[in-house]
Amino acid sequence: MSNDFAQFQDAFFEEAAEHLAVVEEGLLQLEQHPEDLDLLNKIFRSAHSIKGASGMFGFNAVAQFTHKMETLLDLLRNGQTAVTSKNADLLLKSTDCLKTLIDAAKSGTPVDNETVKRLTVELAAASDMNVKAESKVEKGASTSLSVPSPLTPHPLRCFHIDWAPPEWLFQRGLDPLQVIKELGDLGTLSQVAVDASRLPDITEMDPERCYLSWSMRLETGKDQQVVEAVFEFVREDSVLTIEERETLGVKRETQDEKAMASGASREPVAAPHPSPLTSDGSDSEPKPLGEILVESGVVSREVLDGALAQQKRVGEILIEQHAASPQQVEQALHKQRQQEAASQSKKTDTASIRVDTAKIDKLINLVGELVITQSMLSDLGTRFEMNQIHVLLERMAQLERNTREIQERVMSIRMLPIGTAFSRFPRLVRDLSARAGKKIQLVLSGEETELDKTVIESIGDPLTHLVRNSADHGLETPEVRLDDNKPEVGTIRLNAFHEGGNICITVEDDGRGLDREKILAKAVTQGLIAENEKLTDDQIWSMIFKPGFSTADKITDISGRGVGMDVVKRNIENLGGTISIKTEKGKGTRFTLKLPLTLAIIEGMTVRVGRETYIVPLLSILESLQPRPESVKTVIGKGELINVRNTYLPIVRLYEVFSLEPEHTDPTKGILLILETEGECVAVMVDEILGQQQVVIKSMEQNFRKVEGIAGATILGDGTVGFILDVRGLFEIACREASLVA
Amino acid sequence: MSKTALVVDDSPTMRQMVAFTLTNAGFTVVEAEHGKDAVRKVSDGGKMDIVVTDLNMPEMDGITLIKELRKLAAFKFTPILMLTTESAMEKKQAGKAAGATGWIVKPFNPEVLLKTIAKVMPA
Repeated sequence: MSNDFAQFQDAFFEEAAEHLAVVEEGLLQLEQHPEDLDLLNKIFRSAHSIKGASGMFGFNAVAQFTHKMETLLDLLRNGQTAVTSKNADLLLKSTDCLKTLIDAAKSGTPVDNETVKRLTVELAAASDMNVKAESKVEKGASTSLSVPSPLTPHPLRCFHIDWAPPEWLFQRGLDPLQVIKELGDLGTLSQVAVDASRLPDITEMDPERCYLSWSMRLETGKDQQVVEAVFEFVREDSVLTIEERETLGVKRETQDEKAMASGASREPVAAPHPSPLTSDGSDSEPKPLGEILVESGVVSREVLDGALAQQKRVGEILIEQHAASPQQVEQALHKQRQQEAASQSKKTDTASIRVDTAKIDKLINLVGELVITQSMLSDLGTRFEMNQIHVLLERMAQLERNTREIQERVMSIRMLPIGTAFSRFPRLVRDLSARAGKKIQLVLSGEETELDKTVIESIGDPLTHLVRNSADHGLETPEVRLDDNKPEVGTIRLNAFHEGGNICITVEDDGRGLDREKILAKAVTQGLIAENEKLTDDQIWSMIFKPGFSTADKITDISGRGVGMDVVKRNIENLGGTISIKTEKGKGTRFTLKLPLTLAIIEGMTVRVGRETYIVPLLSILESLQPRPESVKTVIGKGELINVRNTYLPIVRLYEVFSLEPEHTDPTKGILLILETEGECVAVMVDEILGQQQVVIKSMEQNFRKVEGIAGATILGDGTVGFILDVRGLFEIACREASLVA
Repeated sequence: MSKTALVVDDSPTMRQMVAFTLTNAGFTVVEAEHGKDAVRKVSDGGKMDIVVTDLNMPEMDGITLIKELRKLAAFKFTPILMLTTESAMEKKQAGKAAGATGWIVKPFNPEVLLKTIAKVMPA
C-alpha cells in the first residue's frame, strides 16, 4: 500500500518538541498554581498527543513511558491525587527522561535505561494511590481493536447469526445494511431473513428508529472472532447470537470456540496490538532471541533481564583477552561517541521550520511585483532612448524597493521570537536555586523579540552558562543578602530588545558583583598580567573571559571549574556578536550580548586600498580619522602607534598585511579606521572610504580555505569579489608584528 | 464526485497522517484543529461523507463535537469515528451516547483506518 506514515516522522519530532516545552512550562507554572485545572488539562493533552503519535511510528518506549506520565497526570486532573511538589518534581524529571527517549527515537542516541526504569517505577508508585484507576487504564491499553488478518485459509464453517440491533442504530450513523454487506464479504451469506415483528403501528412509528432484526446463515473460512469483529461497534448494544452450527470440512475446535460455545464469554480474546508501522508486515526486523523466548513463555522477563545484565560488552571481553588495553578501548569508545555526536548534529541541522502561510502569501505577492518590475525594465531596454533616463531611474528605484522587501520577508521567515530560547530558564533557575540553597526569582522580558533561527539555536548554551554563573557566583545566599540589607530573594533578569540592526540580550543579577581585587590577584597569580600593571575596569572584567579563569573559592557542581566564560565569549563571537560586562560591587552584574539579526547579511563599510576593495563590518568601526603627524609614534616593542585622545593604539597597514600596492604609505595621507574587537582597539590604515552597504557573506572556508585577517567574501556591485575583514585577526597580526619588531 | 471527509485533531502530525491516508484513498479532506474549528468549518450546511475526530482537544473536545454535529441536519446520520488511545469503556460509552458511529484505537496503520471507514460508510 502506498500509504506510509514514515514521512511524517520529522513533523512528529517537531510537534513532540513543542509538546515537551508545553509540558515542562506547564509543570513549572503548576507549582505556583496547583489548582489550575486548565493548565493541567493542557499538560495532559500535550502528553496525550505525544503518546498517541509516538505509537503511530512504533516508538513504543516513548509511548509506554508517556502513558505512565499520562496516568499520573490524569489522576492529578481528576483530583484523585494532589499536586504536590514531589509529584511535580517527578513529572519534571520524567519530562527530561522523555526528551532523551524521543531523541533516542530520532537519532539513536543512547538512553539511560536505569533512569527510565526508575522513573517508570516511581510514576507507577505515585499513580498507585488509586489502584482502581491504574488498573482501569492498563486494561484499556491492552484491549484494542482486533485486526482480522488474512492468515492461512481455514476450513469452511457455518455460523447462524441472529441480530437485533438497538433502536437508536441510525442515530449513531450506523447502517444495518453495511454490517450485512460486510458479513457477505467474509463468505457466502444465505437464508437472510428480516424480522419485522417489532414494527409498531404506522402512526407510532419513528422513521429514525430501527425496529428490524435479522437472522442469517454465513459460510466462511474465517473463525468466530472475525465474524464478531463485524459487529464491533454495535455488539454491546445489540441482542446478538453467533452460533457455529456445523463445520464443513475438517472439524477444528479452538479454545475460543469452546469458550464461546459454553457461553462463558462474548468478549473476544484481546487481539495483539495492531502492529505499528516500523514493525509491521513481513519485512519487519526479526525480534531478538530473548524477546521470542519470553513471548513463547520459555523464560520470564526477569530471567531474561538478569541474563542480559550478565552479558559483557565487546570492549570488556577484548580487555579480558588482552587483545586491547583499557586505554585503547576507551579511546575507541570516545571516537564512537564523537561520531555519534557528529551524526546527531548533522541530523539536527536538517531541521525544518514552520512558516505562517500568510508570510508565504506575502512573499509570493512580492515576487509577482518583482516579475512585473523586471518585465517593465526589459520592455524599456528594447526601445530605450536617452531622454527616458528618468523612467529608467524610477524603475530601478522600484526594483530596489522590491528587492529590499523580498529580502526582509525572506529573513522574517527565519525569524523566531527569542522566547523559545528563554523558555528553558524557568526550569533551570528552579533547579539551580534548589541545588544551591538560594532563593532566586527569574524575570523574563522581551520574549517576543525576533531573531534568526540559527542565532536562537546557538544562543541557548551561552545564555545558560551566564544564567548559571549568575545563580552560582553572582547571587548570594539568603542569609548574606539579609545581612546586606537586600531582599532575601535574588533576581536574575533576562531581557531582549532590538537596537539598530542588532539584538541585545542582557543577563542581569542583583548579586554581589564582580570583585575587582580578587580578579586582579587571580590574574597576577595566573601570569595573565604583571603585578603592577595598570588596567581599566573593562580590561579587568574581560579577564574572566580568559581560558581557565575562575575566582570561585570552591568548585561547585553548577559552575566554577574555570571552563565556560571563554567558551561563551567564543560562541558569541562566532555568531558575529559581542559581549560586555557592567558590574558594581554589592549591586550586581549585567552581561550584555549584542548579536546581529542574521548571520547571512551584514552592514559593511567599503574601503579601498590601492585598487582593491575591502569590506569592514560596520559594527566594529568606532571612528575613522586622518591623524596629525605628531600623533603617530613608533615605540620599541610596540610597533607603530597612534595617539587617539591619549590612548595609544597599534596601527595595521592593510597594504602590508595583504601585500598590495597602496596609494598612500603615510598614515597622515590615508585614513585610519579605529576598529574594536573584544574590548581592544586597533587602527587600520586604508586609502579611502567608499561607502556603506549591506553585504551577503560568502564563506571563505567553504569555497577556498581560511585566510588570516579575512572573515569572508562577498560580490560587490560591479561584480567583483570583495573581502570582508576579520577585525580580530587583524588585531592579532598587529600584536604579532609588534613582538617581532621587539 | 469524490467523497468528503472531516478530520479533527489538535495534533498536526496525527491530523496530517489521517488526512494523507484519506486523500490517497480519494477523499476530499477538510481539516480542523479542534471541535470549535470543525463546527465553524461545517457551519455553511455542507455535508461530509465521514468524520474522523480525536477526543482530547482544546476549545471543544471530541465528545462535545459529536453531540454538536448530530444536532445539525446535515450530520444527523453521517458516520463519525473517534480516534482514541484508551479503549476504556467509559470513553467509548460516552462517545456512543453522544452519537459516535465507531472508534479507531491509536496506534493504527493506514489499512486499519481505511478498513474501519469502509465498515461504516455506505459505498
